[in-house]
Amino acid sequence: MTEQVADKKDQAGVLGWINKRYPLTDFWRKHLSEYYAPKNFNFWYFFGSFSLLVFVSQIVSGIWLVMEYTPTADGSFTSVQHIMREVRYGWLLRFMHTTGASAFFAVVYLHMYRGLIYGSYQKPRELVWLVGMVIYLMLLMEAFTGYVLPWGQMSYWGAAVITSFASAVPYVGNMILVWLRGGFGLSGVTLHRFFSLHVIAIPLLLCVMIFVHLVALHHVGSNNPDGIDIKEKKNSRGIPLDGIPFHPYYTVKDLMGVGVFLIVFCYIMFFAPTMGGIFLEADNSILANPMVTPPEISPVWYMTPYYAMLRAIPNKFFGLITMASAIAVMFVLPWLDRSRVRSIRYKGMFSKVAIVIFVVSFVGLAYLGHEAVTPLRTLMSRILTFTYFGFFLLMPFYSKFETTKRLPERVTE
Amino acid sequence: MKRCLLAIVTILFSSIVSAEEGQFENLVLSHAPIDRSDVASIKRGAKFFATNCMSCHTLRYLRYDKLAQEAGITYEKMPLNVTSWPYGITPPDLSLEASVRGVNWIYTYLHSFYTDAERPTGVNNLLVPNSAMSNILGPYQGEQVLVNDPAAEGVIYHSVEWYGLLNLVKEGSMTSEQYDATTIDLTNFLAYASEPYYAEQHRIGWWVICFLIVLTFMLYFLKKEYWKDVKKKD
Repeated sequence: MTEQVADKKDQAGVLGWINKRYPLTDFWRKHLSEYYAPKNFNFWYFFGSFSLLVFVSQIVSGIWLVMEYTPTADGSFTSVQHIMREVRYGWLLRFMHTTGASAFFAVVYLHMYRGLIYGSYQKPRELVWLVGMVIYLMLLMEAFTGYVLPWGQMSYWGAAVITSFASAVPYVGNMILVWLRGGFGLSGVTLHRFFSLHVIAIPLLLCVMIFVHLVALHHVGSNNPDGIDIKEKKNSRGIPLDGIPFHPYYTVKDLMGVGVFLIVFCYIMFFAPTMGGIFLEADNSILANPMVTPPEISPVWYMTPYYAMLRAIPNKFFGLITMASAIAVMFVLPWLDRSRVRSIRYKGMFSKVAIVIFVVSFVGLAYLGHEAVTPLRTLMSRILTFTYFGFFLLMPFYSKFETTKRLPERVTE
Repeated sequence: MKRCLLAIVTILFSSIVSAEEGQFENLVLSHAPIDRSDVASIKRGAKFFATNCMSCHTLRYLRYDKLAQEAGITYEKMPLNVTSWPYGITPPDLSLEASVRGVNWIYTYLHSFYTDAERPTGVNNLLVPNSAMSNILGPYQGEQVLVNDPAAEGVIYHSVEWYGLLNLVKEGSMTSEQYDATTIDLTNFLAYASEPYYAEQHRIGWWVICFLIVLTFMLYFLKKEYWKDVKKKD
């Protein structure tokens, strides 16, 4: 009865006019008001929407920054100072963008961790995970190209070190390097093309991939902390018994989460935007100088786990292979997990211990990649690199042969 | 190019190991007791900077510098462009010094000049051994000498601040307290020069946080209201 009334409303007036020509109401229903999400989402399920929020915030602050930024070797550094000092609220826009970059990785890492502990990558959500991994990879490139733009010492030397990785590729390495830098050395040409990639190419691809990520998710439905399929128990109208419409239930819940997130975000943005050199390095306040190498070159915190692996391997070529494998192995995660259950709640002791080892490895490597090298730290990096890969490569065995708990019929709360 | 990569990695590692080879390894930076909201202190610092430092050091990114240039005080007329700076070192631009080095570094640096006859400038500095900066502050601070040269006594294992290594032997035109207050003002001004938006940032920040706390409370009750019927649903 109510549905019929609603249907009539959709076909009348301006909305009706649009609906006859474009599936507006259909889209709204499919993705929001009639997208049934499990009702037992917990804390970890906030980070997907936070990622989307930060993405939008980055685009918006980025648009305004580009209005005042000059992408040349001569003008870049000065234009950033112009933004910080003379543009009204320019410092706010820039700190929004720099804090946003770190916040993006923080929420994306927590979002990925959620997928990891609740088995959200398992069948039938392999594509959701794969597309997500592509987004993560593009995000790393976006962050890297963006960090080069202020053209400070860290921008320059970070870019010099990272682009030089390309030369390790057999046979075509040098060609790629020259092509990447737009010359035989790092120069304003490099800066200019990184600007293009950072502002147009990668954000455009990110937009598309985020859309695909959501379409794939809404096609298969959301997982939940119990890792059971809510679509198996439906009522007479075909609605999952444990599902609630995303809108308004999760929109209001996420709004509340956004409030808390913004408090933390704004606190950092207003009172600690450099985070003591972790988000913005002090050396980047010095204009890029090809003649002077900074005393210590380390990437920003979200890339340090891979950097620690690179430094841990004595051979540079294998170091790079290790670094690339560390990301590549995450792509095949859906096929490494042979468990009968999805969620860590019902997995056995091996999986639980493995997750702890993984977290210790990743966080430990992130710390070690940020610190200066000592023999002890190199040893620790090696051990943690070993355990990092151990978590993934042994997963087919420990996840298959452990005793799992019995799954509940319905979601628990 | 592989060689280049190797070179970069080598430079990287070697430079990390030998981080900063100062003469005074045990010297720690003193805490600069500046109050960044103290506008009067920033103004005093600016005045001191303009009369003592600005003939050599620029503040390229500071808005004041733009004004000065428009008023006809151009870089060409500053001694900055002389070709015969001692040791060929041009005095650095200080507009981002506080961001690069930190306020404690500046504060400590201003205090740690001492008489060294071997230097052409007549002074040396604990933080920047063989600093090319001349004895501009000496007439104010007075003459300091190195009393506890760690190089002569072997290694000292405890950390020291600048006043643990230097002794004032002749008072300058300022008393120690006055000189300290002046360096605090100067440091405060350089902190301002580095981040002129700092005061506005902090003022707005608290309002934003307060607004968000109120908003989040309201959103919490909104969520609670909507979710009342969720548990009952079956």
